[in-house]
Amino acid sequence: MAWVAAALVALLYPIPFERSGYIYYETVGFLVLLNAMLGIGWNIIGGWAGQFDFGPNIFFAIGAYTAALLFIHLGWNAWLGLLGAVVVSVVICAVVTYPVTRLRGHYFAIATVAMWMIAQPIGATWELINGSRGLFIPVAAGGGFAHGMLTMEFAGRGKGLGFYYLALLLFALTLWGARAVERSKLGFYFRAVRDDQEGAESIGIDSRLYKVIARCLMAAVFAAGGVLYGFWALAVFPDQVLEVNWNILPMMAVVVGGLGRLGGAVLGSIILIPISQLMTATLGAGPLAGRGIDIIIYGAVIMLIAGWRPNGLLSLPWQRWAGRLLGRAPAQPAKG
Amino acid sequence: MTLFLQAVADGLQMGLLYALVAVGLTIIWGLMEMINFAHGEFMMLGMFGAWGLSVSLGWDPLVSMVPLAVIMYGAGVLVYRLLMRRVQRGEIFTQIFATVGLFFFIQNGVVALFTSDYRFVNKSLLTGLSGANITLGDVRIGVPLLVGGLIALALFLILYLLIDRTDFGLALQATAEDRDAAMLVGIRPQRMYAVAWGLGTALVAVAGVILANFFAVYPQAGLSFTILAYAIVALGGFGSILGTLMAALLVGVVQSVTAAYFPPAFKDAFVFGSYILIGLFRPQGLFGRF
Repeated sequence: MAWVAAALVALLYPIPFERSGYIYYETVGFLVLLNAMLGIGWNIIGGWAGQFDFGPNIFFAIGAYTAALLFIHLGWNAWLGLLGAVVVSVVICAVVTYPVTRLRGHYFAIATVAMWMIAQPIGATWELINGSRGLFIPVAAGGGFAHGMLTMEFAGRGKGLGFYYLALLLFALTLWGARAVERSKLGFYFRAVRDDQEGAESIGIDSRLYKVIARCLMAAVFAAGGVLYGFWALAVFPDQVLEVNWNILPMMAVVVGGLGRLGGAVLGSIILIPISQLMTATLGAGPLAGRGIDIIIYGAVIMLIAGWRPNGLLSLPWQRWAGRLLGRAPAQPAKG
Repeated sequence: MTLFLQAVADGLQMGLLYALVAVGLTIIWGLMEMINFAHGEFMMLGMFGAWGLSVSLGWDPLVSMVPLAVIMYGAGVLVYRLLMRRVQRGEIFTQIFATVGLFFFIQNGVVALFTSDYRFVNKSLLTGLSGANITLGDVRIGVPLLVGGLIALALFLILYLLIDRTDFGLALQATAEDRDAAMLVGIRPQRMYAVAWGLGTALVAVAGVILANFFAVYPQAGLSFTILAYAIVALGGFGSILGTLMAALLVGVVQSVTAAYFPPAFKDAFVFGSYILIGLFRPQGLFGRF
């Protein structure tokens, strides 16, 4: 029931805004879905496989660049480009991650940061991707909604609605895929490596291999997100796709919602992104503009949530509250 | 050859300053295994403190270092007591989340008060010495940076003795190793954590005060140093103060030598590249015990 209701809300969300012209809220929805999707991807390595990954945005960048290059030079459709981007980033991820799985815990975390720090000057200087001048994605205007959904090419008025549904589609695919992984043998192997690496190895699980697989799944999700973002922004700049926010925000969404749970990233994004967007829109303008008041409050809210619910908001008794709201008696423990 | 030797000498001096930024992190992260994304913001607060006291009261950073260290010790204890003690009950990732919030809060609080303009400490003993050099053969060593480096070295030694040679230091290490066992022998873990946060914060603020002599003071000054500091602590190995010092010197040398021969945009990439390379052979860092 809850699933159907959530899906209906997600499908119908942009309609009132489209009719009334407040398309800004469609963009907020787009960002929520993009971030939730990235969070679900990050939860695979961070939540299930238990590895600190602070540098996932390199795959976001690789995805955005691959699809943009394929589109500009070879004229590939964005969806085809997305497939290419996923393949390229998974291959690169496997190659660079396998050696550093020798490192554990915090050492591994810094290795992922290291990859990000190495990627930055490469992105800013490599001539193939135009260095810090970036790549522009030329998109023809006036293709209509159906054409846009098939090509990710939107320009003008229909863009907010179109990208909301594109993000919803990719988000749903990611959620479905992650759910399949969670229930599969693979998902149990990931959690076994997280909970007890030596124990997992003693029953024949190759922990390094499964860490690589977990990170590659994350890389695939981030690459897809990068493609979506590139076609949304119509340009790929190194300092934009390698921005620290693509590392921190998905992770924060997962943590605020609940680490290791699929709903965590979704709940976290629904809370964090609109708060920051609305505060930037209201407090970021006016007499105090540029003074960072919105981010001060944002930071305070984050600290309050973390201090109040260190195990994530999904650890609250939501089901009991929902039961009370619907007039149903909460489930009682069996007596005996 | 002269270029190389000069680069090594410059790198060693920078390395000492990096060591100072990283040593506070060795206590909070390396020893107590708590993550603090706002580490560099405490350094930035130290820089602003040095600038403020220099402009308003005319205090030299070498003097204002002492009261600022005391104040920032209190701030660190406060952050632990009000925030991190609660956050500690959850997953370790929640510490990232909470300290990112702290990072936003402090950085933009300073932006709100002082704007993002660059400020400089102009009148101080060390900036007055700028231009003074000591020459060793063909290698020139700037006196101000040398003095800053020596202060760093002194603080480092004191801390090393405190952590490795006193009962208090042993109690800190015991808490980090096994909280419950430490409680059994009468150590109060939360007090140990609070002291570790106070010490780490005070040390990084002192680093900021010294760095204010050499670098521009602005609200975003912290992040690049924080990222380097994390790499330095991991490279040195968890729980090793001497390791942090060695790693910081190595990072300084790698940075300045590669910057002498390659485009400077890549200097951090070389540092992090060597981290990965060394990690492949020493997965527990250079001097790490675990």
